[in-house]
Amino acid sequence: MPQLITEANELATAGVTISHLSKSFGTNLVLDDISMTVAPGSVTALIGPSGSGKSTLLRCVNLLEQPDRGSITVGSTSIEAGAKVTDRTLLALRRQVGMVFQSFNLFPHMTVLRNVAYPQERILGRSRAEAEERALTLLERVGLRDKAQQHPGRCSGGQQQRIAIVRALALNPRAMLFDEPTSALDPEVGVEVLAVMRELADSGMTMIVVTHEMQFARDVSDHLVVMADGHIIEEGDPRAIMAAPREERTRRFLSAVLER
Amino acid sequence: MDLSLYLPRLIDGLGVSLQLTVISVVLGYALGLLFALGVSSIHRGLRWPALVVVEIGRGIPALVVLYIVYYGLPAVGVLFSSFWAAAVGLTFTVAAYSSEMIRAGIQSVPRGQSEAAAALGLSRLPAFARVILPQGLRSAIPALMGLAIQSFQGTSLAYSISVNELMSQAYQVSSLTFAYLTVYVVTGLIYAVIAVPATWASVWVEHRLGRGHA
Amino acid sequence: MEAVVAVLLGLPMTLLVTAAAFAIGLVGGIPLLLGLRSRHRVVRLVVRFVVDLVRGIPPIVWLFVLFFGVSIGAFRFNALAAAIVGLGVISAAYLAEIYRGGFATLPAGQTEAARALGLGRRATFVRVLAPQAGRTALPSITTFLLALVKDSSIASTIGVTDMVFAANTFVRQNPMTAGLTPFFVAAAVYVAISIPLAIVARRLDSRLRRSA
Repeated sequence: MPQLITEANELATAGVTISHLSKSFGTNLVLDDISMTVAPGSVTALIGPSGSGKSTLLRCVNLLEQPDRGSITVGSTSIEAGAKVTDRTLLALRRQVGMVFQSFNLFPHMTVLRNVAYPQERILGRSRAEAEERALTLLERVGLRDKAQQHPGRCSGGQQQRIAIVRALALNPRAMLFDEPTSALDPEVGVEVLAVMRELADSGMTMIVVTHEMQFARDVSDHLVVMADGHIIEEGDPRAIMAAPREERTRRFLSAVLER
Repeated sequence: MDLSLYLPRLIDGLGVSLQLTVISVVLGYALGLLFALGVSSIHRGLRWPALVVVEIGRGIPALVVLYIVYYGLPAVGVLFSSFWAAAVGLTFTVAAYSSEMIRAGIQSVPRGQSEAAAALGLSRLPAFARVILPQGLRSAIPALMGLAIQSFQGTSLAYSISVNELMSQAYQVSSLTFAYLTVYVVTGLIYAVIAVPATWASVWVEHRLGRGHA
Repeated sequence: MEAVVAVLLGLPMTLLVTAAAFAIGLVGGIPLLLGLRSRHRVVRLVVRFVVDLVRGIPPIVWLFVLFFGVSIGAFRFNALAAAIVGLGVISAAYLAEIYRGGFATLPAGQTEAARALGLGRRATFVRVLAPQAGRTALPSITTFLLALVKDSSIASTIGVTDMVFAANTFVRQNPMTAGLTPFFVAAAVYVAISIPLAIVARRLDSRLRRSA
């Protein structure tokens, strides 16, 4: 099985620890004292009804959202909410964690190749030749090498998302965050993306995935976290929870979702 | 009719009009970009002055700007020739208008783009310069093209400060020949022959830009 | 001080030219709009060409054509009439384009729904489409009015006694003492007029964006 994380990754993948995280939007308490540990190399799936705070939680990990209270640790980098975060620490954190968005967010004015190469040149200081070679290798691994000279607008949603994954991977992140990566895709197309994510998981990447794909959550993740109303209401082994949820809220959510 | 004798004069005037257009567009857009960056800046010390300059530039009729530069500035010791007074005045007006278009273009770039750039770990400057700004400028292209065409037409105002552009030549020729209607209609058509196809071309470019760009 | 008074004496004329031209444009834009949206290709093309031609010629040229060029028998435009008619025709062309834009962004479903209900073409246009298009076009119309206020200054070049004309005259009559003042006064008044209009335009625009 092709490895998406190659020997080129010197550092081992990192764990993520979230400690007593709280966040409000105005008067709306979206995250209420959340604590969570993601072991290195493990895959955590974050599920729950809309408004449960799961996307916000994910976005706090790379500080796209600023938590009001609590702390976040990725590998050996820690950030306290409220304390002044220097740009250096912020960039250091974000350079260790890759993120894949629901709306892909590829750069439309660059070719696919440049999308994957430019961040490497800028952030890792790789030469253009090196960056593009690495980009082509990764694109090859997801079967999209022939799209290299095209612009993202010419690619389908599933292709764009796979390219987005590759763009983040090219930076050798120690953990990857996925914010509903397949929600904007047709189911048949979403399958391609989930396959890539599966491979990534098998390669040993630390992953936190916010998703509605219950099958993926059950089959691929090592740890399931169920959120509702800003709390973690249940967490543990995915198969166990899905077969026999302890909480009523979990049961209601799962039955509504699995019915589809 | 003897108008053909005077056509070369009109064409000479057109040449001057085009020179003014090119100068005011090139310098005006560059200045407009600076103003746009100033207006979008987080630093109040940059933002307020830029805002004031832009609003004044957009609020004053171009004709008045020309008069101020040509008739008014000499009172404080700044003397420009007709041509350069027109160039300075038109550049200022173009800069003010283009800055609004560029600013709007930058604002229209979807938030997901800056988030993706941030998530990748790009620091603010490259994120803005390499991701946001190119897309913002691209969005502004249709409006900027329209502005260029309008500034070409705007060079006709330089007549009022004695620049020898097309409109001035038309006035002189019509005074010589008394064929007022013909001369001015021909002049109008000369402007139109350039402006109208240019407008069609810019609409076409706008369509091309809209496609294949998710 | 006298500079201020002198320039302000031109303000009524500035407002008159603007208002009259705007009124002509608002009304005149309608037949042009209908032509642009006509079912007959030839009509559409001809009106399109006329509108583009009118917009392609600088306003000052139009004013000169009307003021210096038109003499039908004993009839000649005086400066004010030339300015109003000239700017009015130009406004009609620009507003027609703005109206067209308002209609272009209407969802196709509106026409379909109206016709499905059995509304005739005129009723559909007048009661269903036009009100919505008008609402969409309102910010652009306000922005256009802003531009028209400034363009009215061009009337000074054919002798209409507006603020710019007054400023020029004052400078010519007081070459030593006038300096920048008259023009600054005129500029200040233009900016003062445009600020409330600009605020209204921006507010209309954001309200439109929110309800979209």
